[in-house]
Amino acid sequence: MGLHTLRLATVPLTFTTSRLFLNPSPTLAFFSRHVQPRKPSFLLRAFSNSTAVQDTPLTQTSSDSSAARTQWKAAIDFKWIRDNKEAVEINIKNRNSNADLEAVLQLYENMVTLQKEVEGIREERNNVAKKMKGKLEPSERERLVEEGKNLKESLVTLEEDLMKLQDELQHVARSIPNMTHPDVPVGGEDSSAIRNEVGSPREFSFPIKDHLQLGKDLDLMDFDSAAEVSGSKFFYLKNEAVLLEMALLNWTLSEVMNKGFTPLTTPEIVRSSIVEKCGFQPRGDNTQVYSIDGTDQCLIGTAEIPVGGIHMDSILLESALPLKYIAFSHCFRTEAGAAGAAAKGLYRVHQFSKAEMFVLCRPEDSESFHNELIQIEEDLFTSLGLHFKTLDMATADLGAPAYRKFDIEAWMPGLGRFGEISSASNCTDYQSRRLGIRFRPSEPLQTGSKKGKANLPSTKFVHTLNATACAVPRMMVCLLENYQQEDGSVVVPETLRPFMGGIEVIKPKLR
Amino acid sequence: MGLHTLRLAAVPMTFSAFTSRLFLKPLPPKTLQTLTLVSRHVRPGKPFLVRAFSASAAVQGIPPTQASDSSAARPQWKASIDFKWIRDNKEAVEINIKNRNSNADLGGVIELYENMVNLQKEVEGIREERNNVAKKMKGKLEPSERERLVEEGKSLKESLVTLEEDLVKLQDELQQVARSIPNMTHPDVPIGGEDSSAIRKEVGSPREFTFPIKDHLQLGKDLDLIDFDSASEVSGSKFFYLKNEAVLLEMALLNWTLSEVMKKGFTPLTTPEIVRSSIVEKCGFQPRGDNTQVYSIDGTDQCLIGTAEIPVGGIHMDSILLESALPLKYIAFSHCFRTEAGAAGAATKGLYRVHQFSKAEMFILCRPEDSETFHHELIQIEEDLFTSLGLHFKTLDMATADLGAPAYRKFDIEAWMPGLGRYGEISSASNCTDYQSRRLGIRYRPSEPLQTGSKKGKASLPATKFVHTLNATACAVPRMMVCLLENYQQEDGSVVIPEPLRPFMGGIGLIKPKLR
Repeated sequence: MGLHTLRLATVPLTFTTSRLFLNPSPTLAFFSRHVQPRKPSFLLRAFSNSTAVQDTPLTQTSSDSSAARTQWKAAIDFKWIRDNKEAVEINIKNRNSNADLEAVLQLYENMVTLQKEVEGIREERNNVAKKMKGKLEPSERERLVEEGKNLKESLVTLEEDLMKLQDELQHVARSIPNMTHPDVPVGGEDSSAIRNEVGSPREFSFPIKDHLQLGKDLDLMDFDSAAEVSGSKFFYLKNEAVLLEMALLNWTLSEVMNKGFTPLTTPEIVRSSIVEKCGFQPRGDNTQVYSIDGTDQCLIGTAEIPVGGIHMDSILLESALPLKYIAFSHCFRTEAGAAGAAAKGLYRVHQFSKAEMFVLCRPEDSESFHNELIQIEEDLFTSLGLHFKTLDMATADLGAPAYRKFDIEAWMPGLGRFGEISSASNCTDYQSRRLGIRFRPSEPLQTGSKKGKANLPSTKFVHTLNATACAVPRMMVCLLENYQQEDGSVVVPETLRPFMGGIEVIKPKLR
Repeated sequence: MGLHTLRLAAVPMTFSAFTSRLFLKPLPPKTLQTLTLVSRHVRPGKPFLVRAFSASAAVQGIPPTQASDSSAARPQWKASIDFKWIRDNKEAVEINIKNRNSNADLGGVIELYENMVNLQKEVEGIREERNNVAKKMKGKLEPSERERLVEEGKSLKESLVTLEEDLVKLQDELQQVARSIPNMTHPDVPIGGEDSSAIRKEVGSPREFTFPIKDHLQLGKDLDLIDFDSASEVSGSKFFYLKNEAVLLEMALLNWTLSEVMKKGFTPLTTPEIVRSSIVEKCGFQPRGDNTQVYSIDGTDQCLIGTAEIPVGGIHMDSILLESALPLKYIAFSHCFRTEAGAAGAATKGLYRVHQFSKAEMFILCRPEDSETFHHELIQIEEDLFTSLGLHFKTLDMATADLGAPAYRKFDIEAWMPGLGRYGEISSASNCTDYQSRRLGIRYRPSEPLQTGSKKGKASLPATKFVHTLNATACAVPRMMVCLLENYQQEDGSVVIPEPLRPFMGGIGLIKPKLR
C-alpha cells in the first residue's frame, strides 16, 4: 500500500479469546462489536520471558492511569525505526521535528543489549537451579546456593535498570512523528499544494462588515459580558445565532449520518493519558489543554480525543471495520500564544461547538477513507455556497500524529482573507499504537468458544482518521460575512433553513 | 408585596459618575417578538475601588460594596448585604436561619457589624479632628502653636491609617461571615425538612405495565444508546457517551424545548462554560472546599459551570438596567459539569447523576414586585413542557430546610421513573429575589422621573434598586431521557418517541433494538 508508517512488531498472542463473542450486525450501529479486555493486557514486567526471541519489548499499557512514572506505553516499532533509520531521519527533518533519533536508537540498542544480558543471567540461574535438583556434595550445594543468590541479586539490579531504560526510551521516542505520505509536499506552509478550489470570492457592491460588527448590529453575540464573566475570547451566542448553531449541527449530523456515520456525544473531561495517546501535549507552558485542578483530568480540545478513546485497549473484529463516527462536543482550548489579528472575534476562541468525524479502519483502507472524508467536507461546504480551497498540507505543517492532512480554507470577506475551517488527517497507526486499538483479521477464524490461542491470526493496529465536519464559530464567520446584505441583514443558506424553523434572513432588531 | 428579602440600604450616589454612560437605545419594536430584549442595559466601565467608600458613605453607615477586579488577594468582591435591615429584623432572620437549617452565625454578623459601625464613627471623628487641625493651621500662629498642631495632625494621621486598616479588615471579616446568611423565605413555604415539602400539583398517573420492565440502563444497553463502560476508561465513572438515536433524542429535546420556551418570549443563549470563580460565588455556589460540586481549572481562577444559571446571571453583572428593559427572560443552553462529590448509592444509577450533561435553563431578571408572578410563570412553563411529553409528575413547594441559600422559594418537579421505581427530580424553579443581584451588582433605575437624557443631572435620577432573579430548568437532558426511556418502553424492547419530539428527530417514532 505504500504506507510507510511505523509498523508493529509481532503482536503477543497472550490475549485470551474467551471474550471474543460476536454480535450480529446491527443496522444503525457498528458499536459494541468489539472486545475490551477487562483489565488491559499484561503487566509491564511480564515481557522478558515470552518475547526474548523477538528482542522487541511488548509495550502494552498498564491498566490504571494512577501510576507514578510513565503511565502508559506506546507500542512503537523500534526495530522498524532502526532498520529504516535514513527514512526516519529525513522524515524528522522534513517535518521540522526536534525528535532525537540518535538518542532513540542508542537507548534502543542499550536496551536490547541489557535485555540479552538479563536473559543470559536468567538462563544461568535456571542451570544452577537444575543442577541443584540432583544429589550433591554439601560443599557443592553450598557453592550453588551462593551462586544462585548472586545471580538473583544481579538479576534484580539489571531488571531495574532495564525498566528505567525502557521508560527513558518511551519518553524520548514518543516525539518521533508519524511517517509521511509520499505525495505530501516537502517544506513549510508555503509549500502546501492546492488540491481543489470551489467557487469564487463574492463581489460586494457595498461596504462590508466583519462578523464582529454584524454580530453586534444584529445582536447575535456578546464578547463583552463574556470577558467579564469568563475572560477574553469567550462569548455568548444570542438570538438567531443560537438557532444557527443548532441548525449547523443538526444539518451536519443528518448529512454525515446519511453517509453511514454513527452519531455520538462524548465526555468533555478525560484522563490526561488519553490526550497524550492521541498525540496532544496536556502539560507544559504552551499547552492548548485546560487541566482540572486536583485530578489527572483535562478538558478536550476536540472530540477526536474521547472518540479515539472509545475503543482503547481493545481488539476489534475485522468485520466490524470500518467504524465511522460523527461526534458532537464542546471543545476547550487555552490558545496559549495565539494573538494578533488572526485571533479576532469568533475566529479563535476558548470554547466552541464542533461536529467531528472519526474513522477506524484496516490499514489498507485508510487512504481511501481519507479521500472520503475530504469529499464529505467539500460537499458540505459546497452546499452552504462557500468559496474555499483544499490544501494538501506540507510536511512542516503536519502535527506529529498525521501521516497526511488536508485543510480547507474558506474565504472570509470581512476578515479579508482565507481562514481554516476544517482539517482531515490520516493518522495511520500513530494513535492506535498509543491507544492500543487492534483488530484481528478474520480469515482463519475458529469456531469461537474454544480458547485456541495458536489458531487465531495475529492482531494488527487499526488506522485512525479524523476530520472536522462543522466547527461552528468559523462556519458562522463564513456565513455572516459572506451572506451579509446592504441593509445589514444576513441571508441564511437554503440548506439550513429547515433546521432553523424556516428563518430565511437575520434582520437588524433595532428600528 | 410581602417579599421579606434582605433589602438594600440607600444606594451610594457615587454611581452618578457613570450617568454619562447611561445612553438609551431606542426600544426595538415587537417585530421579532420572540428574540431581542438583550443589550438594553448599561454597564459602568470599571466599578469603584473597594476602599473608596469611607468618606462618602459614612453618613449612611453602610459601605457601598462594589466588586473590584477579581485579581485581588483577599475577598475579591463584596456582596451588598443590608446589614442595617438584618440588625433591625434580628428575630425574623434568626428564625429563618433556624428554619432553613443553616449554620450562619447571626450573632457573629451583628457583633461584627456593630464593631464596624463604631469603628467607622471613630474614623469619622478623627477625620473631623484632623480637618479642624488643618483649618486652624490656615491662620497666623505662634511657631510653638504651629509646631504643636503639626505634631497633632501627624499623630491623627497615623491613628487614622491604623484605624482605616482595621476597618478594612473588619469589613472583610463581616463579608466572610455574613455571606452564609441565607435569603429570607416566602411566608407560604412549608417549614421543615424534605418530608414537609408540600405537593402543589400532580399530573397523570404511573403507567401500568403488562410486562417485566427494564430500567434506562438496560434499555440503553439493549438499544445501543449509551456507553458508560468506555467513558469510565476514558474519563472516569459517571461519564457517558450517547450513541445512535440517543444523540438525536438529545438534540430533539433541546430543539423542542428551545422553540417552546422562545414562544413565551425568552431570548435564546449559549454560554461560556468556563467562568471566573467569583461569578460562581456571587450566584451562591461554593467553588472551593472538600465537598465542592465545582470543577476548577488548574492554574487559573476559573471553574466549569454546574448550570447555565451562573453565566447568565453574570451577563448583566455590575450594571444598571433600564426599568423598561425588564423583565429580561433568557433560555440558555449549556453543558454542565459537576463533581458530584459525596453522591453515592442507588440514586446515582446510570444517567440519573452524572458529571457532565446538557441542559436548557430559563433565567429571568425582573422588578421585585414582579418576581412572584414570574416564579409562577416559570413553573407553569415547566409543567406544560412535561405534560406535553406525557410524563407523570408532581410539583413540590420545597420545605425550608431543602432550600439552597439563594432561594426565597423553590418549586421542584419530580417525575415517575418506572425502571428506577421511584420519583426523581427533573426540574427546579427558584425565586432568588435579590440574593444574587446583591452579589452580582445588578440594579435597575425606576423610570418615573427620568430626565431628558443627555444631561448629567445626578440628583434628579431616581435611586437604583436591585433586580430580582429567577432560574428554572427547562430541560435537563439525562433525566428527561431516564423518564422517556423508562416510561415509553414496550414489550418488544423498543421505545416510543413522544409525538412532540418526532418533528425534531427526523420523524423517528420508535427506537428499535438494533440486533437481529
